[in-house]
Amino acid sequence: MAEWPTRQTAAGVTVVTPDGRLNMVAAPELREQLRTLVQDGASRVVVDLSGVESIDSSGLGALISGLKAARNAGGDLRIAAPNAQVMAVLELTNLNRVLRPRESAEKAFDEPE
Amino acid sequence: MNRSEPGTLDTTTGATTLDEIHTVLEAFWLAHPDVPEGIRLRVGIATAEIGANIVEHAGRGESIRLRMETRAHPDTIEIVFTDDGWGAEVDLTAVHLPDDMAERSRGLALARSVLGELSYRRDGTTNCWILISERFG
Repeated sequence: MAEWPTRQTAAGVTVVTPDGRLNMVAAPELREQLRTLVQDGASRVVVDLSGVESIDSSGLGALISGLKAARNAGGDLRIAAPNAQVMAVLELTNLNRVLRPRESAEKAFDEPE
Repeated sequence: MNRSEPGTLDTTTGATTLDEIHTVLEAFWLAHPDVPEGIRLRVGIATAEIGANIVEHAGRGESIRLRMETRAHPDTIEIVFTDDGWGAEVDLTAVHLPDDMAERSRGLALARSVLGELSYRRDGTTNCWILISERFG
């Protein structure tokens, strides 16, 4: 199973950087990677969407799955740098309320929830 | 993949089907540069959702025959999917977005929200999904 690049910020936040189209092919991989990261102790996670071309409902499901896992571990999952397509899908599904897009991965945890 | 005519996809579903659908839609937009970006984005969202729905639910893990046709009418864009998979038991007038924390079941509500019309019918052993959008918004 493919894994997307991850890195740690100076503040100890784990950043995952998927790319391409987050659809029913890629979503299970992202879901599993997020689940594993949280299980291994990363409770503050940013999904950097700057390289994501498009997302569909299964991609949203993977983000929500990761959000729930992170919150259950006492942390949070935030998203950063979505393009216009991703923003449209978030707004159309009202998920921009629970996955409020942040400008950049580095600053995603600088603001309160 | 065997694209028998421009704007049309005839395929057997598999791991690359969603990429094939995307490629056909991109070619369709190239052939119709007058369609504004906002409409392309919305039709793209709906087409991806319905395509994924067919692959997942009509196929039920098996490959099925899938045809996608793209049509530009003077005032509308029409995408037609036909497949020979399992029938869908769905009431498109009743689809709605689930709870924010749900991990599934947003696809049809999302598709319907960006289209002028979304319809499904079963003809014998064939499923037919018709997606209609305004052409100019």
